[in-house]
Amino acid sequence: MWKDLADLLFQAYEQYSLLPLFIEIALAFIFLAILSTLIAYSAILYKRYRAYVYEKRLAFISPKIEDMITEQVLLNPNLGYDIPLESIEFDINALSDKIYRKAFVRQMLIDTLIQYRKNFRGEVGELLRKLYIDMGLDKDSFAKMKTLRWERKIKAVVELTQMDIPISDVTILPLTNSSNPALRAAARNAYIQLSKNEPFKFFDIATEPLLPWDQLEMFKIITTTKDIAIPNFSRWVSYSTNKSIVSFCLELIAHYDQQSAIPAVMELLSNKDHYFRADAIKCLGKLSAEVAEDKLVKIYNNQPLNCQIEILKALGRIASGKHLEFLKSEFLYSSNFDIRMNAARSIIKHNTQNSRLMLEELMEMTHEENQLIIKHCLNPLIKY
Amino acid sequence: MSNILVIEDDDIMLKAIRNILGKDGYVVITAKDGKEAFEKLENADYDVVVTDLMMPYANGLEVVSRLRSDETKRNVGIIVISSVGNEETITEAFRLGADDYLKKPIMAGELLIRIRKLLSNKNSTSQLVTKKK
Repeated sequence: MWKDLADLLFQAYEQYSLLPLFIEIALAFIFLAILSTLIAYSAILYKRYRAYVYEKRLAFISPKIEDMITEQVLLNPNLGYDIPLESIEFDINALSDKIYRKAFVRQMLIDTLIQYRKNFRGEVGELLRKLYIDMGLDKDSFAKMKTLRWERKIKAVVELTQMDIPISDVTILPLTNSSNPALRAAARNAYIQLSKNEPFKFFDIATEPLLPWDQLEMFKIITTTKDIAIPNFSRWVSYSTNKSIVSFCLELIAHYDQQSAIPAVMELLSNKDHYFRADAIKCLGKLSAEVAEDKLVKIYNNQPLNCQIEILKALGRIASGKHLEFLKSEFLYSSNFDIRMNAARSIIKHNTQNSRLMLEELMEMTHEENQLIIKHCLNPLIKY
Repeated sequence: MSNILVIEDDDIMLKAIRNILGKDGYVVITAKDGKEAFEKLENADYDVVVTDLMMPYANGLEVVSRLRSDETKRNVGIIVISSVGNEETITEAFRLGADDYLKKPIMAGELLIRIRKLLSNKNSTSQLVTKKK
């Protein structure tokens, strides 16, 4: 049979080699197309089959896991009696069921516990954590951290963070500076949430940038995590060589209104990078740093447009009234629309008798376009 | 025995709340979305409704609003449980007539205490109304 097949193939090859070249190429393409279609369909079918098997397993195991958690945690008879959580014991028989030795079941168990932890805090939340530890699931998560696959490492970091399990600095700190952006972000977020004393220690060693989206995520974590030790961020403004860390620290300084950081932020006004200077000016404005006002006006003429706009905004935020005349002259004589707009907004922001008189005077003496700018800025529905 | 309707689209949370309240002796009926909740509210009377905010078909605010605009169900106690923590949503829930608001993650004990308090307030109010009559 094999001989016949070999003969057939040989004959086919002989016939093929007699064909004109363009027909040979066309046939080769057809053959390749059919082969790749078959491979793609097989891969899709295989993936679907695996997903189907997983769903079946999930449907079978999920109720068991949920029942166990309900029994051991939610309906635990010791809850609500002020019994210390350490002395609450789980039913060993329920926990040592053979089913919980299988890796995929343990993973499902971890996922379900995390789901519960997202919904419950207090005694129930702590008992869920105890169950996670007592079943040795923390060891599974730590084992995942040792793998080479970054997505498994991220999963492990997230699991340990959700379960509030401390990770040693030796393990997590290198990950905070990983070249993989997703892993780096997960590790940094975890470090902030888990480190009790120095949650921002990784700022010292960070050489990789803090991406804008990661900054948003981290800002949310910092501002929503309970009992986080907030340091003086001026330390990184002065010494960090990582530009994204400095920018992020400027945002945090403004958010936490760290007045003691004003001198360090003012140092940045002489930085060569104008984006940095713009961030620093914005920060000074948000801090209402009156001491910086004169310097801001002094450097105004030497700045690029983005910094000039930030200076005008900062003067509006500080609103000491000392530089109303400066704002007025910028509004009247600048040829740039954005500058006139921001100067007008800053005058309005002062909201004093002088500023109101100045606006009336400007409305009378200025040309139509400027009057429209003032009217637009006076609209309370447009936020500044 | 008080009847409680729990409306929650997250299966795990729904089951968990049902178990916690059931353990405390309440009769718990569950609904997975606003549409199912409206059907159940039509067919039976409840003492307390515990509802999530973000749900398919009809959200928690719509549930609160409909309960308060219905003469026969105006006295049902309503507790909103949600992970939404912004001031606007919370005040909107109270403005529409919610009695209480719990932000996720919740404490099981706290939920029980709030339900008990709501039920006892409701009982004392109804006693007062009966006495006046």
